[in-house]
Amino acid sequence: MTRPSDATPTSKPRSFIANNPSVLWFLLALALFTLGVTALSEATGSGVISTSFVKTLGKTLCLCLIAIAMDVVWGYCGILSLGHFAFFGIGGYAIGMWLMYARTQAIVVENLSASVIPPTPAELSDAIASQIFGVVGASEFPAIWAFSHSLVLQLAMVVLIPGLLALVFGWLAFRSRVTGVYLSILTQAMTLALALYLFQNDSGLRGNNGLSGLQNIPGFEQVPQAQISMAFFWASAVALGLGYVMFAWVLRGKFGNVIRAIRDDEARVRFLGYHVESYKLFIFTLTAIVAGIAGALYYPQAGIINPGEVAPIASIYLAVWVAIGGRGRLYGAVIGAALVSLLSSWFTGGGAPAINLGFYTIQWTDWWLVLLGFSFVAVTLFFPGGIGSLFDKLVRRSS
Amino acid sequence: MLRVVFAALMLLFLPLSATAQDFQTLLQVHKDEIAKPSRRSVGPVLAELVASGHPALPAFLEAWQGKNVYQRLSDGLFFYIEDHGDTITLLDIETRNVSAQNVAAGTLDQIKPNGGVRRAIGEALVQFRLSAPDPAQRREALDAISRNLDPSQLGPLQASIADEPDAVLRLRKERLANYLIARFGDTSEARVAAIENLSDDLSVDGRAVLSQILRTRLTAAQNLPDDANVARILTPGDENLSRSAAYDMLVAQAGLPPIVTDQDVLKTIEANIDGGRSGGVALAAMTSWDMRYRTYDTLADQGLAPPRVTDLDAILANWTFAELYEETDTAVTTAATRIQESVATRVAFSQTVDIGLDAVSLASIYFLAAIGLAITFGVMGVINMAHGEFIMMGAYTGYVVQLFIPDYTLSLIVALPLSFAVTFAAGVAMERLVIRWLYHRPLETLLATFGISIALQQLAKNIFGTQARPLTSPGWLDGAWMINDVIQIAYIRIAIFVLAVLFLGLLLFVLKKTRLGLEVRAVTQNPRMASSMGINPDKINMLTFGLGSGIAGIAGVAIGLYAKVTSEMGSDYIVQSFMTVVVGGVGNVWGTLAGAGLIGVLQKWIEWLNPSNTLAAQTYMILFIILFIQFRPKGIVALKGRAAGD
Repeated sequence: MTRPSDATPTSKPRSFIANNPSVLWFLLALALFTLGVTALSEATGSGVISTSFVKTLGKTLCLCLIAIAMDVVWGYCGILSLGHFAFFGIGGYAIGMWLMYARTQAIVVENLSASVIPPTPAELSDAIASQIFGVVGASEFPAIWAFSHSLVLQLAMVVLIPGLLALVFGWLAFRSRVTGVYLSILTQAMTLALALYLFQNDSGLRGNNGLSGLQNIPGFEQVPQAQISMAFFWASAVALGLGYVMFAWVLRGKFGNVIRAIRDDEARVRFLGYHVESYKLFIFTLTAIVAGIAGALYYPQAGIINPGEVAPIASIYLAVWVAIGGRGRLYGAVIGAALVSLLSSWFTGGGAPAINLGFYTIQWTDWWLVLLGFSFVAVTLFFPGGIGSLFDKLVRRSS
Repeated sequence: MLRVVFAALMLLFLPLSATAQDFQTLLQVHKDEIAKPSRRSVGPVLAELVASGHPALPAFLEAWQGKNVYQRLSDGLFFYIEDHGDTITLLDIETRNVSAQNVAAGTLDQIKPNGGVRRAIGEALVQFRLSAPDPAQRREALDAISRNLDPSQLGPLQASIADEPDAVLRLRKERLANYLIARFGDTSEARVAAIENLSDDLSVDGRAVLSQILRTRLTAAQNLPDDANVARILTPGDENLSRSAAYDMLVAQAGLPPIVTDQDVLKTIEANIDGGRSGGVALAAMTSWDMRYRTYDTLADQGLAPPRVTDLDAILANWTFAELYEETDTAVTTAATRIQESVATRVAFSQTVDIGLDAVSLASIYFLAAIGLAITFGVMGVINMAHGEFIMMGAYTGYVVQLFIPDYTLSLIVALPLSFAVTFAAGVAMERLVIRWLYHRPLETLLATFGISIALQQLAKNIFGTQARPLTSPGWLDGAWMINDVIQIAYIRIAIFVLAVLFLGLLLFVLKKTRLGLEVRAVTQNPRMASSMGINPDKINMLTFGLGSGIAGIAGVAIGLYAKVTSEMGSDYIVQSFMTVVVGGVGNVWGTLAGAGLIGVLQKWIEWLNPSNTLAAQTYMILFIILFIQFRPKGIVALKGRAAGD
């Protein structure tokens, strides 16, 4: 089948990289950035960049990863999911359960080794449980912690639980042809339900307290945080690079065209004989899994996860990042997420200088959200392509 | 106690014979106990004083309790005083006539009974206060009796019923007398009759009387006595009596050896450690309870510890465990059990009605919050994420109006239209400036309005601060409408319900009977056709958006009246409003009503199933809604036309 819009219909199929020059550019920029940070960090370089800032950068890379997932599901497939942070949070909780279990186990074994009579396995498990769940007044392991002793199983959970949840939810929603704003509201309801569930003390995940102390990696207690944070920074960078390449690869060629066509006119694609629901379900589930992985990398760097992280507002911010960065361009999502989240922590962290208007002093901690809100409206109105569209203009001018 | 009863009866029948005696003389008999009363000594004194039935007694008891009685040190006589600052006038304890003037303060001793004594005096006073001319005093006396039901109060209470002029108080007295008879009546028949009277009494007091009569105590006996009034027989090991608890009863009662707990086992093993071994077993091997018990048994065999109780079941089988009524009269307990059941049924029914009313009031709030959203969504296919912030804006308008108009009724009358005007203007401005340009991109409208939402929320925070602001309701909306002792509904909720009904009617009128409504419906169904019929969809869109936002403002005032006004109140309601709209079906007033009703009832119902956990209730409700959408993707009342659209 020839595409009339294709400028060179007769040329032989070009390689993946040649078709997607942005992938190469992106990987190059990411590599340069990672090496630059490595050279300037405390652990491995000159120490210009503090460990906490390395953590911030590592977390930002994770946010970029979930942002490209969001871009794929929204910018390419047209599903405005307002619930992807639920998957991000589940990934974080899954890895957090192992981190917390293993670390508490080490502490409890250490404490109990002083006792005269060695503990039974049941006593050991009870001691760990009451250490972890003491804050919510429980002293037994809930059923969902059954695999928390095993890193491998919990890592599998990072992928499986978001994947399964997205599969079931997506199957239910797409099957009954819930689309557009209805679907957005429904995904928002999903993440709200998850947040409310996690807020309960008897949910088995420590309710409002969330999981904490995640920055301490069991088995690596002696390694300084500077090095651990570098390791996670690298892992995040690699994950982002891999995720970028994977999505670019998935969205290439005919499959990618079908996905984009679903965004532009779902009914027409259905009439052409494509099983739209399967395509949407695949994209929804794949991005959910990537979101879970991003969360699993994010929270050990953040050190704490609580139910507030999966509140609906977080997912809406995710959409804001992607919109500002530019939908339908993977690098746009990365730029949007990095720019807005870093700016946000700069402004709200008190980094931005206050502006004195004479009659009133603008404190950015108070006014940043106002600025963000209105600039977001402005971007939507006047600049629908987002920052990413600037590159299009650049490329067009140079060619 | 008997003396008190006797005294009370004496008081009833022999009031005249005692007046002849001089009151001061009477007091002097007990002068030491009166001057330095203690909790223990005051009882008999009070009983004798009450028995005298002297008319000056109530006033004296009041004064005694209020530390207004003085004793002259020289002769020990009691007086009331008038304090003129530098001089004191003594008044006679019986007649309140002046006995002496210009007395020095040093010659007198104020009598200061302690708290316990004052309470005892208060109890003795109750019977006088029951017939006091001041209704407030009588009410207090009744409160005192119902706080602590005592058989001695029955006589005075019954005697005071006949002369009670106040119908409400009279009813209460009769009820209290009935309680007292039910619990302490002389004959079985009288008590059963009184208990029967409780069958339509849903009050907490009435139910307490029944449960007091049916109070049980747990007993263990090898053979229950024949006359025992058994409530139920318990089997050790079921949910009401664990086996160890049953055994502990026997330990306390029959002196059986106590159970050796796991803790005791560990202590014994630790106490007998000898060179890394205990009872011949290496400590490192004791990582199972099996091994630990075996070690303990070895130690016990050596006489180092008491043996473990292993035949628990055999011992327990010899005993009967039963809950016995403390009340020995079977006729009374049978009647009380029967009445308690029927009361419980009535209470359950009333609670259902109560929950139903709660659900209706919750539904009216959701309806008010969501109807504006539904209109804009239905007519324009636009979801307004800033709707919650319009609700907040309305509430803050109400708050600001109250700052300028201190009269709450007047300020409410001003605030309702003003908040409508403010949010109408804000809505129109938003439609003109933002939404108009995004009509064909509904998802982007959602995000753009979200941008406005976070900006507005932060602006409100900057202007009004983060703490909650009060929006006080007028006094006539305070309190609640009590239908019976269980069913009650706050007036403010009724007001919100009325407001919701008003808006339902108003909207139906506007949409069905006016030119604007006709045009709105036309644009909803087919905007291009409507436009070719000479309707200006631009104007209709603007007005509809204004209308929807204006109603959000009114909803804000209503919500602010019963909840606090904060910058985040909008986001509390926005998701519920979305759910209401989505469940009900967009663009239709009846759909929103159905959605609000469904969600309100559902939420209250789930809360009732699991009252301790409102978070779980909300979680389940959202899960239900997600499933519901699967079966009716376009809501309960599905529309055709643009809103049904894609």
